[in-house]
Amino acid sequence: MSSDEIEENEEEGNILVWLTGLAFLAAMIAIFIYVPTEKTEGVVQRIMYFHIPCAWLSFFAFFVVFICSILFLWKKDREWDIYSQASAEIGVIFCSLVLITGPIWARPIWGAWWVWDARLTSTLILWLIYVSYLMLRAQSDAGSMRARYAAVLGIVGFLDIPLIHFSVLWWRAFHPQPKVITSEGIGKGMDPTMLVTLGISLCAFTLLYFLFMGVRVRQEKLKDEIDRLKREKIYSS
Amino acid sequence: MDNLGFLFAANAFVWGGIIYYVYTIKQRNRALEKDLELLKETLSKEG
Repeated sequence: MSSDEIEENEEEGNILVWLTGLAFLAAMIAIFIYVPTEKTEGVVQRIMYFHIPCAWLSFFAFFVVFICSILFLWKKDREWDIYSQASAEIGVIFCSLVLITGPIWARPIWGAWWVWDARLTSTLILWLIYVSYLMLRAQSDAGSMRARYAAVLGIVGFLDIPLIHFSVLWWRAFHPQPKVITSEGIGKGMDPTMLVTLGISLCAFTLLYFLFMGVRVRQEKLKDEIDRLKREKIYSS
Repeated sequence: MDNLGFLFAANAFVWGGIIYYVYTIKQRNRALEKDLELLKETLSKEG
C-alpha cells in the first residue's frame, strides 16, 4: 500500500467517523426527544430503536460473510477471507446486543426475560454458529484449510437467517410479527414518526458497520503484511 | 415511567458493546504497531 493510498484511506475514514457520529447524534435526538411514547408499551418500547438496528446490522454482517465466503471458495483470494472474518466479528458483537436488548425489552412486556420461542431460539442458534466460526478461526492454525472450513461454516450459518425471519409467520410465537416489512408493504404497520426514527437509527448503525469494517480490514491486511515480512526474514537468515 | 430502568439498561448495553469493540480494535492496533516497530528495528540492525 503506497503512502498516497494510506492518506486517501485515512481521509475517507475520517469522513465516515464524522458521518457516523452525526447519524448517531440524530438517532439519539429522534429516539429520546422526537418520537412520541408508544401507548401500550410505554417508554420501554423505545428499546426497539436499538434492538431492530442491532438485528439488521448482524444479519447484514452475516450476509456479507455468506457472500464473501462463497467468493473465497470460488476465487481462493485471501482478500475475501479477510472481509468474511471482519464481518463475522462485527455480526457476533451486534447479535450479542440483540440477545441482550431483547430480554431487557421482554421482561416488562411479557413478564419473562426469555421464552423458548422460535425466533428467540433461532437467533440464539445463529449467535452460537458464528461464535463457533470465530472460535474455529482463533483455534486452528492459519492457512487456507482454516479459511476453507470457516467459509463453509459461514455459508451454512447464514441459512438460519431466513428461518429467523419467517419463524414468527410459520409458528405461534411470543415475538411480535414483522412491522417494518409486512405483506401490505414496507413500513405500513408503523406510525410515520416511528418509521422515521427507526430509519435514522438504521442508517447510523449501517454507517457504524462500514466504519468498523474499514478499520478491521485494514488491520488484517497490515497483519498479513507483517507476517509475510517476518517469514521472508526467517527464510533469508 | 416505571420501566425507564429497562430503557436505560438496554441503551447502556448497546453503547457498552460498541465501546468495548472500539477498545479491542485499539488494543489490536497497539499490538500491530509494536510488531511493526520490532520488525523495523530488526531489519535496520541487519542493515
